[in-house]
Amino acid sequence: MDQSARITEYLEAGLRAAGLRQSVIAGNIANMATPGYRRHAVPFEEVFADALEKGKPVTYGDVVDQVTRPMTGEVNEIGNDVQLESEIGDLVKNSLLYKTYARLLSRTYQQMEMAMSVGRDG
Amino acid sequence: MGIDEIAPMVDIAVSGMRAQSLRLNLIAGNIANAETTRTAGGEPYRRRDVVLRASGDEPGGVTVLNIAKDSSAFRQVLMPGHPDADAEGFVQMPNVDLPVEMMNMVTASRAYQANVAILHRYQEMVETTVELLR
Repeated sequence: MDQSARITEYLEAGLRAAGLRQSVIAGNIANMATPGYRRHAVPFEEVFADALEKGKPVTYGDVVDQVTRPMTGEVNEIGNDVQLESEIGDLVKNSLLYKTYARLLSRTYQQMEMAMSVGRDG
Repeated sequence: MGIDEIAPMVDIAVSGMRAQSLRLNLIAGNIANAETTRTAGGEPYRRRDVVLRASGDEPGGVTVLNIAKDSSAFRQVLMPGHPDADAEGFVQMPNVDLPVEMMNMVTASRAYQANVAILHRYQEMVETTVELLR
């Protein structure tokens, strides 16, 4: 029981982070022409892996909802480092990730329901 | 095709899109400056283009090595009354050839579209795989 509880926790965390990332990417694209704007990112997967490795608790505040400004992109003449093609690429990757998390979560719940319905009619 | 191969695949297509988009940018600059006889450095506008390199890993994406200036000679055009004319009345015009730029523009656009098509088809492929979880 403890194992499956963890699975749903982690999948829900991933789903929430992917949803957050979708709006962060939308914000980047909306600010493509804003002078001085640096792109934002959601580093959920790295932070999560790090937390698991070090045995730290996975909390929404510290791990899932983290939004950073990488400051690694090349800045153009108006001080902006948003690249449309990169953001679209991230959007595609993130959509696939979101879908996968959602489907896996759905499957996990189906399994739990199946386990619960065993012996019901016996 | 594993889940860890999704990100690199998308990155390859995105690198292609970025390279062609930059190329298109430079072509626009070349066309806009096709008649610029004097730049900040004093000489006429020199045609620019991208120098592309494979990103290393096989299969990999494309990297823009740098933006190079075309070293071919400037065109000499006889225009005696021009402010930038030399002693014999010749003006040095940029080494930009409009038909060549138009052709490069078409190539860059098509290459960009091809990369977008790859991205789209790949997305469809992965989504079909994820559908198996329904």
